[in-house]
Amino acid sequence: MPNRLDQPMVYQIRVKGHLNRRWTEWFGDVTITPEDNGETLLTCPLVDQAALHGLLRKVRDLGLPLISAIRVNPP
Amino acid sequence: MYTPILATKLYVPRPRPGVVLRPRLIERLDEGLNRRLTLVSAPAGFGKTTLLGEWVAGCGRPAAWLSLDSGDNDPARFLAYLVAALQTIAPNIGEGVSGMLQSPRPPPTESVLTALLNEIDTVPDDFVLVLDDYHVVDAREVDDALAFLMEHLPPRMHLIIATREDPPLPLARLRVRGQLAELRAADLRFTPSEAAEFLEGVMGLSLSEEDIAALETRTEGWIAGLQLAALSMRGREDVAGFIRAFAGDNRYVVDYLVEEVLQKQPERIRSFLLQTSILDRLSGPLCDAVTDQEEGNVLLGALERGNFFVVPLDDKRHWYRYHHLFADVLFAHLMAEQPDQAPTLHRRASEWYEQNGLRADAIRHALAAEDFERAADLVELAVPSTRRSRQEATLLGWLKALPEELFRFRPVLSLHYVGALLSNGKLEGVEDHLRDAERWLDATSDTGERPEALSAEMVVVDEEEFRRLPGSIAMYRAGQSLVLGNVPDTVKYARRALDLVPEDDHFLRGAAAAILGLASWASGDLEAAHRSYAAGMASLQKAGNISDAVGGAIALADIRIAQGRLREAMRTYEHALRLAAEQGDPVLRGTADMHVGMGELHRERDDLEAATRHLLRSKEQGEHTGFPQNPYRWRVAMARILEARGDPDGALDLLDEAERLYVSDFYPNVRPVAALKARMRVAQGRLGEALGWARERGLSARDDLRYLREFEHITLARVLLARYKSDREERSIHEVMGFLERLLQAAEAGGRMGSVIEILVLQALAHQAQGDNPSALVPLERALTLAEPEGYVRVFVDEGTPMARLLYEALSHGVEPEHTRRLLAAFPVAESEQTASSRSRGPESELVEPLSARELEVLQLIAEGLTNRDAATRLYLSPHTVKVHTRNIFTKLAVKNRTQAVARGKAFGILSQT
Repeated sequence: MPNRLDQPMVYQIRVKGHLNRRWTEWFGDVTITPEDNGETLLTCPLVDQAALHGLLRKVRDLGLPLISAIRVNPP
Repeated sequence: MYTPILATKLYVPRPRPGVVLRPRLIERLDEGLNRRLTLVSAPAGFGKTTLLGEWVAGCGRPAAWLSLDSGDNDPARFLAYLVAALQTIAPNIGEGVSGMLQSPRPPPTESVLTALLNEIDTVPDDFVLVLDDYHVVDAREVDDALAFLMEHLPPRMHLIIATREDPPLPLARLRVRGQLAELRAADLRFTPSEAAEFLEGVMGLSLSEEDIAALETRTEGWIAGLQLAALSMRGREDVAGFIRAFAGDNRYVVDYLVEEVLQKQPERIRSFLLQTSILDRLSGPLCDAVTDQEEGNVLLGALERGNFFVVPLDDKRHWYRYHHLFADVLFAHLMAEQPDQAPTLHRRASEWYEQNGLRADAIRHALAAEDFERAADLVELAVPSTRRSRQEATLLGWLKALPEELFRFRPVLSLHYVGALLSNGKLEGVEDHLRDAERWLDATSDTGERPEALSAEMVVVDEEEFRRLPGSIAMYRAGQSLVLGNVPDTVKYARRALDLVPEDDHFLRGAAAAILGLASWASGDLEAAHRSYAAGMASLQKAGNISDAVGGAIALADIRIAQGRLREAMRTYEHALRLAAEQGDPVLRGTADMHVGMGELHRERDDLEAATRHLLRSKEQGEHTGFPQNPYRWRVAMARILEARGDPDGALDLLDEAERLYVSDFYPNVRPVAALKARMRVAQGRLGEALGWARERGLSARDDLRYLREFEHITLARVLLARYKSDREERSIHEVMGFLERLLQAAEAGGRMGSVIEILVLQALAHQAQGDNPSALVPLERALTLAEPEGYVRVFVDEGTPMARLLYEALSHGVEPEHTRRLLAAFPVAESEQTASSRSRGPESELVEPLSARELEVLQLIAEGLTNRDAATRLYLSPHTVKVHTRNIFTKLAVKNRTQAVARGKAFGILSQT
């Protein structure tokens, strides 16, 4: 994994509640995966940190309770 | 103010009939008035706006309301709206500030805010300012403005911020100090009893206690969730079944419920909701244009009455908006179901806004539609007015949003890009876009006619701007060259601009002439500089840019001062102040600069009180009434007054500040602050530091002489002279003398009489340093003759004791006796040189009245130890006359006896030290 934070990266953002897949476009190319425990995993390829913050803003604007955001190895 | 103000952004939401009353929260908001800030911070859908609207209606104080949107990330627009919001409660607020925002060169945001806060202080009653939706702000400048506002909050104003995320303010500190009242999600969510009241009272549902509890649990008291749930349940037979299904479902509350709500709607309403979700404001006609239907007004009214997340934005029910969260959901549905439709909808919205004269919205929707050609057309037409309203950030944002290749075919737009970049102080991209514009021009004839072959490719919307293009290009080329320090090119392009721009285009002509003047100034051709710059200012005045014409007087006066024409410089300032007063605005931007300049002139004349008065006047008016250079110029002027008052440390502190605040604003840096500091170090005897400065600047007495380095070179001569005084090396003084002679010739050739006088003074001091007083008197006499008519004083007095000695010497030779006496009177008693007997007089250094030639002779004889009688004999006077002279000498030197008189005479250098 590149360590530099200005490199493209993948984040997994976990929110509470099952989110419909129609939000894919609205979030801008995220993969929406509902989990059994009632949470949703948003897998987001992002170009940089600024893009991450933009995405978190969208989570905020939907009033989705944010559970975690972690950086993962690109698949 | 040029920014068109949308009244809908200032609308205070009215409490809806039947809304849930929340006395527990109202009470806390009331209590919050005792603190500085009330923060209502909670996610979307917690009823922040509704609560504040209800509270404001009954809080008993006038309230200014501003609903922020993403456009407010442009600080100029944010300030314009802030002023407009405050004007809803105090119509006179911000009158001065509006003028500042209109100015072609707006002052920094903090200056505007300071002026605004001063005006707010005049509001007699307590009032409230609500900033709603603060979370949309994503611009450092606006955050800084809020922090500044918070720091300097007027006592009568209470600030309320509603937001989805905590603003970047020192909240922890405010909390600890008890200055912050907060309502957060935990406070705002509906309690079970509030939920019951809402569902039954407002939404007209009758539900069992268990059902209400189940809904409350599932939504966690989230008001938007409960409202959606209520909409889903309306008219439903099996309410209990719906609630059971909802409660047992894991889905995001909004997804689940919007699905339910939309499913229940007839197709025409469903499609209306989805299609209009692209709009951030809704009106009947706009919705009709976007949906291509004709029932916008009817549907909006029905949606509002049905509690359908539609919020009115005015009392007349012209404008509404969807609740932001609801709009997001609808838009997500639109994008999922008919992604291809969005561009068409945006384009229709753009057209409607264009037809209704709201260009900024038209551009926003054209960009959203990715219809860049259309956006480019609109931007091209919008540039002149957007620039006048100083929304540079907005303008640059639009231009950057357009694809780069589009500019290649749009010369007018390309040149607008150049203007936007240069006015933001950016050079990168300027060259490319100038070339894009020039390409088309090269292919066209001088008259600006468009050849048929090209018109197919080239895109021009603003034909009038296109006709100005040749002149505009030349003007921007000149500006670019000036910033790059290329004087020959600056002159070349500025001249070309003046050839090309028609007589009646006062703005372009004025700008080109001013640039030409600045270039001549930088190359030391002062007469030409003054002529061009004055012509430029006259044109700008004709173009209506009065403030620029007023502020431009500093350049004209600077040039006159360099020419040694102090009286004319003073008249220039006075004329500019009159011009400002004629506009009915005595504190018009630029007037602060005039007072600083007048202060400098008074200082040179040694009227330090008048000088200080002008500087304080400039300060009182506030920095916003000055141009960008004013903060640094003010400090330089004040430093020199402190120096004259004998406070070199204070002066150096101010010069340090001045160095940090220095901005050229296109002016040549003819008097670098670092050189001024070096001069003060020389005067303080800190020779090592002064030599260090000269080394750092790579200065040498063998340098070629250029006007732009003249001030540094004269400073170097001072440093070298000081070095000679300490090392007494024969070589050093020869170097100094030769250098001064070269400097003198150059200054004379350039007609810079201000420099000539100073150089002559230094030549006199250099002769004196070699013990050759007779030679010293030659340049001194010439300096005195040149200085007298213009009222120079400090150029002599700042040289201290050595100059006092020379002047007494001159006086004894009958050189300009009256003038010389006046100068001598201006010398302070240097405390360090006072003898023990006079030191008792304390630190306040009295000014010395000059002795007459006869008195000098008497004093000399007293020093030699002669009695009055002997002195009388020696001078062929009566003993009585000598006694009168002696009394006068005592009075003038403020001493009591002969011993003290001799000591002081020596201290002033009137008497030889032997």
